[in-house]
Amino acid sequence: MKLHDTIDVLIGGYLSKEAAEEDYNAVLDCGAHLYGAVVVSKALDGELSVEQTDHMVREGAEGLGAIGFAVGLFAPPLLAATAVGAAMGAGAGKLLHHKASQKLGEQAGATIPLGGAGLIVAYSHADAPTVEPVVTRAVQRSVGEAEGSHVQALKGAIADAQQKMAETASAG
Amino acid sequence: MSQPDRSKLPIRRQPFRGVANRTLDGSRPDWDALGHTDAPDGAPNVLVVLIDDAGFGNAGTFGGPIETPNYTKIAEGGVRYNRFHVTALCSPTRAALLTGRNSHAVGFGSVGEFSTGFAGYTAFVPDDCVPVPRILRDNGYSTAAFGKWHLTPDGQQGPAGPFDRWPVGWGFEYFYGFLGGGASQWDPCLAENQKIIGTPEAFYDREDPYYLPDAMADKTIEWLHALRAADAKKPFFAYFSTGCSHAPHHVSAEWAAKYKGKFDQGWDKLREETFARQQALGVIPADAELTPRDDAFAAWDDVPEKLKTYYARQMEVYAGFSENADHNVGRVIDAIDELGELDNTLVLWIWGDNGASMEGTITGSFNELTMQNGIPLTDEMQLQLAERYGGIEAWGNEMMDPHYSAAWAWAGNTPFKWGKQVGSHLGGTRNPLVVHWPERITENGALRTHFTHVIDVAPTILDVAGIPMPTHIDGIEQQPMHGVTFADSLTDADAPERHTQQYFETIGNRSMYKDGWWLSMKTARIPWVLTPEAIKPYAPGVWDPDDDPTELYYLPDDFTQAKDLAAAHPEKVKELKELFWAEAEKYNVLPLLAPLAAFFGMVPPLPDVAKYEFRGDVENVLSGMIPRIYNHSYTISAELVIPPGGAEGVIVAEADHLGGFSLFVDNGKLTHTYSMMGVFVFRQQAEEPLPEGEVTVRMEFAADAAKPATGGEVTLFVNDRPVADGRMDHTVPIRFSGYAGMDIGRDNGGVVDLSYADRKPFTFTGTIKKVIFDVNPHASADEEHELHTAAHHGHAAHALSA
Repeated sequence: MKLHDTIDVLIGGYLSKEAAEEDYNAVLDCGAHLYGAVVVSKALDGELSVEQTDHMVREGAEGLGAIGFAVGLFAPPLLAATAVGAAMGAGAGKLLHHKASQKLGEQAGATIPLGGAGLIVAYSHADAPTVEPVVTRAVQRSVGEAEGSHVQALKGAIADAQQKMAETASAG
Repeated sequence: MSQPDRSKLPIRRQPFRGVANRTLDGSRPDWDALGHTDAPDGAPNVLVVLIDDAGFGNAGTFGGPIETPNYTKIAEGGVRYNRFHVTALCSPTRAALLTGRNSHAVGFGSVGEFSTGFAGYTAFVPDDCVPVPRILRDNGYSTAAFGKWHLTPDGQQGPAGPFDRWPVGWGFEYFYGFLGGGASQWDPCLAENQKIIGTPEAFYDREDPYYLPDAMADKTIEWLHALRAADAKKPFFAYFSTGCSHAPHHVSAEWAAKYKGKFDQGWDKLREETFARQQALGVIPADAELTPRDDAFAAWDDVPEKLKTYYARQMEVYAGFSENADHNVGRVIDAIDELGELDNTLVLWIWGDNGASMEGTITGSFNELTMQNGIPLTDEMQLQLAERYGGIEAWGNEMMDPHYSAAWAWAGNTPFKWGKQVGSHLGGTRNPLVVHWPERITENGALRTHFTHVIDVAPTILDVAGIPMPTHIDGIEQQPMHGVTFADSLTDADAPERHTQQYFETIGNRSMYKDGWWLSMKTARIPWVLTPEAIKPYAPGVWDPDDDPTELYYLPDDFTQAKDLAAAHPEKVKELKELFWAEAEKYNVLPLLAPLAAFFGMVPPLPDVAKYEFRGDVENVLSGMIPRIYNHSYTISAELVIPPGGAEGVIVAEADHLGGFSLFVDNGKLTHTYSMMGVFVFRQQAEEPLPEGEVTVRMEFAADAAKPATGGEVTLFVNDRPVADGRMDHTVPIRFSGYAGMDIGRDNGGVVDLSYADRKPFTFTGTIKKVIFDVNPHASADEEHELHTAAHHGHAAHALSA
């Protein structure tokens, strides 16, 4: 592994488990080397399900999902327009509550709404043309990028992606 | 017995014609005094069938892709009219049909949910325009209505009535159906006569679940059998008004499966195929032109490949739903035949009341109310939400309230432009009519091309029954019907065309027909777009209707409105424009766009009720009558008695998982679930179980601000102690449901929180003394006014798409 990487992290939000898993499987099958991928869905009864291929855990870091789900992954601007003449979308892009925790389940549980799902994928920037086109179903997505040592780059890319996601949501 | 004077209703009793001495000695009874008013000799039974939200090009009988064997059978034994017209909106067509008068003139310029303070838009019929079922009833007919009503104002659909605005008040002796504009076919909240009876018990039978279209036919047949058991001769007037094909498009998978793959070619190709069949059948002229697609609809070729299956499925379900309606109407007709009375039954079967509905917007929706609540979902989002509730194969079952894409509706209106709500074009105003009456009609399968309109139906019924239009009813002088009989055209293709002039107006889209010429004046607004930007150009002082573009057609040469002649005939444009204004004034169409008045500050006085109390046995409060909790802070509190060992069940629940709220107890814990139209679902639950004995629980919603769709914080209290909290980022701004009701102590029909679906209706096992809604805990006067205005915006939005 190189000492310095340029890493991209893609995060996506979904309204159904099926759509998130479809994209998750697509990135696993796309042929690119992934540093990690995690998909978390939350059923209407609150039950979480998690699938992940997370090399970071093996590398002693906190884990891709644990970092990625710490802040507002899923805040789609669903109410951006209005039918009745009022600013219904004003609050649509707010970040969900921040609940610092090291556990993926707790963090995802706090940030993914009932019935929703989220995807985080980390990969080398060079593989972006292979990875990004296969993520076709996210209702909201952002891609962050950072350079540095491997773990530094991952964290930086996640933070960048999260910021872009939040900006997109707020703009909505 | 001599014929009574039918010019004034009720018919006065005959003078006593016997002899009444001091004793029976020499006395002679008058047996006629015991009778009731008989219908005129030979008066036929009448069955009026009205299919909902369907287009000219839907039914196979008129070249559409949907198999309609019963409609075709009746057409082949009767006559079909290919120039029959409706009003381009649900309630107005129904009001016109049942009164024989222009809809605005009887208060129905818009839908039944929406009363506003202009004479043409009150949503209740004036006493001098008494409907035809009342006239028939008073003239010796038995009368009954089944299915969709949509002619009772939204806030008057409870035990307080007033019932003159319910079907019974219109002259129907029996009613079984729903009062609103649409209903679930699986778990409707029904009315029977003057009572809301809620969701039928059969809904809970998983082996043989309830299905409204089947039940409507069952009830109609049952009524016919009972009628004949009681009276072998009395003619009947039955109004069979299907919920189909209005959203939600609900039908079992078997019916939809018949159309698997039949719409993979898309809407553009479907229109071409339908058009070719229409020409082959001769229901449109050989020289007719297929009108082009408006830019408001996407080309099928531009639909992403990954979404084509999603879109095609929408139409498969719609088609199966519609064919099922044909099947159930066929059952009713078979029952009449089995009674030996089909020959002398006048069947008037109208396939659609306003063209096919474009209210599903471009994307279609897993939940039709998302559009009315202004939630702009992309087609990918809609698909994912459909996946959340079972996937597209479940499209049509009770887990969704689906509506198809506007483009499918446009295809259903082949060969015309536009559809529902567009009173300026034939897509919204022309629907098939088939008339069957073997005793008189012998020219089987013939086509009639007379210009006819839904207001002609009532005069035609009276004509064939030999009943005069009464001059007075209940002592009130009656306005004449505006329609004219077309009875002679039933048997004579060369009968004169009597309906030579007609205005049309729906939400500003308007037209004027006279002697073959048709002037179209459509507003620029796309019918399904209700954004502030779309409404703004119609503000008072801004909009000049005479500046709207005009199109002119000469229909005898141009069946489909394909050749705009406005530029070549400016004098005709001017003449028809002036005629429209005169007709509009005459029939209370003015002011134009009265249904949008709420958007421009014209709202009714503020209601003065802020607290609502419900005792423990109240259920089936219809969705338009629940406490106004939208867009601001509110509290729901309940006084309970928890028995030893605890209790569980629903304290109060409104609607279902596709939009609604439920305050309930599960595993002893107080829980609140709020479904923001099935898109977002929020839940808060206490950690500790409720104590035994007398307990007060409360749910407080503290809104971020008094504004539409506001987010806010929820806190649950038990005996004034907070036990749980949580945030709801978005709330429902307008309406949870178009049909589902609110219940105390149970969650009737589909449930709000699916975690207790297997225990539905999840009846509360303790005692509920009362539930109190406080909808105005902290609002200032200004906030109240703003919220009231917003509520009426929502009311109008719902009305515009009901």
